[in-house]
Amino acid sequence: MVTKKAERIGVFICHCGMNIAGGLNIEALVESSKQMQGVVFVNENKFCCSEDGQVAVQKAIQDQNLDRVVIAACDPSLHLMTFQRCGEKAGIEPEFVDLIDIRKWTMHGSPHKAAPEQALEKSKNLVELAVKRMRLKRLVPLVEVKTEQSVLVIGGGVAGLEAGLDLADKGYKVHIVERLPTVGGKMALLYKVFPTNDCAPCILAPKTAYANIHPNINLLTNSEVKSVEGYIGNFNIKVIQRPRYIDTEKCTGCGECVEKCPIKMVDNVYSGGMGQRKAIYIPYDQAIPKKAIIDAQNCLYFRKGVCRICEKECPTEAIDFEQQTKTIDMKVGAIIVATGFDEYNPTEKSEFGFGRYGNVITQFQLARLLDIDGPTGGKLLRPTNGREPKSIVMIQCVGSRDKNANDYCSNICCMYALKHAQIIREMVLPDAEIYICYIDMRTTGKGFEEYYRRTRELGILFIRGRPSEIIEESDTGNLLLNVEDPDIGHLLRIKADLVVLSCATIPSEGSEQLSRILGIELDENGFFKEMHPKLRPVETNIRGIYICGAAQGPKDIPDSIIQAKAAASFADAELRKEKIKLPEFMVKARQLNGGGS
Amino acid sequence: MEEVYVEEFMSPGCVGCPAVREMLEELSGEFRDKLTVEEVDITVDTTRATQYGIMSVPAIAINGILKFVGVPRKEELKKAILEELERGE
Repeated sequence: MVTKKAERIGVFICHCGMNIAGGLNIEALVESSKQMQGVVFVNENKFCCSEDGQVAVQKAIQDQNLDRVVIAACDPSLHLMTFQRCGEKAGIEPEFVDLIDIRKWTMHGSPHKAAPEQALEKSKNLVELAVKRMRLKRLVPLVEVKTEQSVLVIGGGVAGLEAGLDLADKGYKVHIVERLPTVGGKMALLYKVFPTNDCAPCILAPKTAYANIHPNINLLTNSEVKSVEGYIGNFNIKVIQRPRYIDTEKCTGCGECVEKCPIKMVDNVYSGGMGQRKAIYIPYDQAIPKKAIIDAQNCLYFRKGVCRICEKECPTEAIDFEQQTKTIDMKVGAIIVATGFDEYNPTEKSEFGFGRYGNVITQFQLARLLDIDGPTGGKLLRPTNGREPKSIVMIQCVGSRDKNANDYCSNICCMYALKHAQIIREMVLPDAEIYICYIDMRTTGKGFEEYYRRTRELGILFIRGRPSEIIEESDTGNLLLNVEDPDIGHLLRIKADLVVLSCATIPSEGSEQLSRILGIELDENGFFKEMHPKLRPVETNIRGIYICGAAQGPKDIPDSIIQAKAAASFADAELRKEKIKLPEFMVKARQLNGGGS
Repeated sequence: MEEVYVEEFMSPGCVGCPAVREMLEELSGEFRDKLTVEEVDITVDTTRATQYGIMSVPAIAINGILKFVGVPRKEELKKAILEELERGE
C-alpha cells in the first residue's frame, strides 16, 4: 500500500452519459486538470462507474503508478465506496481515492444546475481543491477497537420494537428507551389497521409481549436519552428514567389504586382528549408493562400533601412516593432511532374551527372513539351532546400539502380516512352519511386501491374539494360547510353533525433535541435525515446511528417494519465482527467540547 | 509539508462556527499561500463528515487528520498548522 507523499495523482472525469458531458466542456476540464500540481494522468470516461470504467481506473493506477486518485463525477454518498474499492484493488489506500460531485451543476433537474461556462469554472475549482486535498492528505492511522454487542433503540413503537426484537433474537443486548409509560406507540391506539382491518393491538401484542419477556431486551419506559458520546462500537449513553412512584416489581396491574383515586382529568395522550383518566392510572389494558403510574402534577398528595388513598388501597404495597429520577449509564455499539410521529395540531388552521367547535375532531380522536376499548366503548358520539352523528364529514390534507403548514404529503391520511369510513359504515353507524372531502386520493400501497374501491362501494360520498371554512350553529353545535366539487360543477352545502380532520403527520416532539444529542441531521421538515433518500434510507451522517419508521418521514406500518428490519440489519453487519478499525482521531478526539451546533 | 490543507466543517445553524471561520481567515492572512482553507457544510457534504466520524461542528481537519472538535483557541490552531508545516515528508 502506498503511504508516502503524493507524487503521482490521477484525475478521472466522468461524462455520466450526457448528464455531465451535456452540461460542460469536458476537454477544457481535462486540460485544466493536467496543469494542476502533482497531476500526472488525466482520463475521461463515458461512465466511470461502469465495469469498463472501473477497470480503466484500476489499470491506470497500476500502469501509471498513481498514488492518489480524484474522480470528478457524482454524489460521493452513492459511489465513493465504489471507487475506493477500485483503488484498494489496484494497490492504494481507499482514503487516497476521492470522489467529487460535478454533476450537480450539469444534470437536468438538479437544483444546482448552472450554465455551461459556470459549471466548467465551478468544476475546475472543485477538482483543484480535491487534487490539493489529496496531495497533502496524510494517511490516517487506524486503530482496532472492540464493538459492544449491544444496541440502544430509541422509541418503543412498532418500528423500535421490530428492530429491537430482530437484534435481540440475533443475540445482542437491546435497550429500548421509551418516553411514555408503555411501549406500543401510536399503533396500539389505532383500533384497526388498513388494509386488512385487523385489530391493531391484537397484531401488535405479540411484539410488545415478546419484548417484555425477551431475555436480551431491557425495556426502559418513562425514560429519555440524556446524552450520547463516543463512536460506532462504543457509544456511552446516559438515560434518565422519571419516577413512576410505583415499585414495578410489586405492582400487579390490578387497578385497585386507579379505581379508588379521587382525581379525574382529561387524558390527552391515550384518548386524544376524548376520555378521562385518574391521577394514578394504567395507560390501557394491553399496556406493556402493565403497571400503574402516578401523574405527580395532578396527584393530591404531591400537590397538597393529602390523600395517599392509593397507598392504602394497594394490596401489594407498591406505591412509593419517594421515588426519584434515575440516571442509567450504558454502553452500546449502535443506536437505532425510532421515535415515530405526532399528529399535527389543527388549531393553526382556524378555518376548520378545531378547538372552538366541539364537534370538530381529528382522525386520531376518531380512532379512540371507535375503539371498543376506548373512552366511549366504541360508540361514536358527538362530543357536545353525546348523541350519535347522522352526518359525518372528513376533511383531508389538514396541515399537509399546504404551503402555510407542511409542504409534504403525509402518506397515510387517505388510507386511515377510508378505514374509519368503512368501520363507521359497517360496524358503528350504518345509516350515517359519510363524506370525504379530498384533493387527491393517494392509495398506492399493496391492496390499497382495492380498499379505496370497496369504500366507494359502501356508499361513502367522495367530494373532490375541501371546504374553505366551517361555521357552527351555536344552538345545535351542527356544522355548516360549503364545498365546491369540480367533478359535478356544483357548490355543495353540507350540514354535518361531526367533522373529522385528517391531520398531517409531523415529527415527534423532541426530535430537534434528540438530533442535537445524537449529532444527526434533520431534514427540511424536521424528520431525521437519511444518508441518501433513495439508496441509503436508514443510515445517517453518523456511522453506527440508524433511523427507521415515521421518525424518518411519514409512512405506514408495513414500511416502518421494513425500515426497522433494515436498520437492525445494518447494526448487525457492523457489530457482528466484534472488532472494527477506526481512524485514530475518531477514537481519541472525543472530548466534544466547544460551542458547536 | 510545505503546505497545509484545512477542512473546516460547519453547518448553517452552528453557534461556534463563525468564530472558527474568523480565526482561519486571520491565519490565512498570516500563512498566505501555504494555507488552503475549505469550508465543508456537513448538511450538504454528509459523506465527508461521515468519513471523519464528525458528530458535532465546528470541527477542523488538517491535511486529512481530524484535529479539533469544538472551538479551539487560536494559538492551538496555529500551533497545529505550524506542526504540520514542520513535519518531515
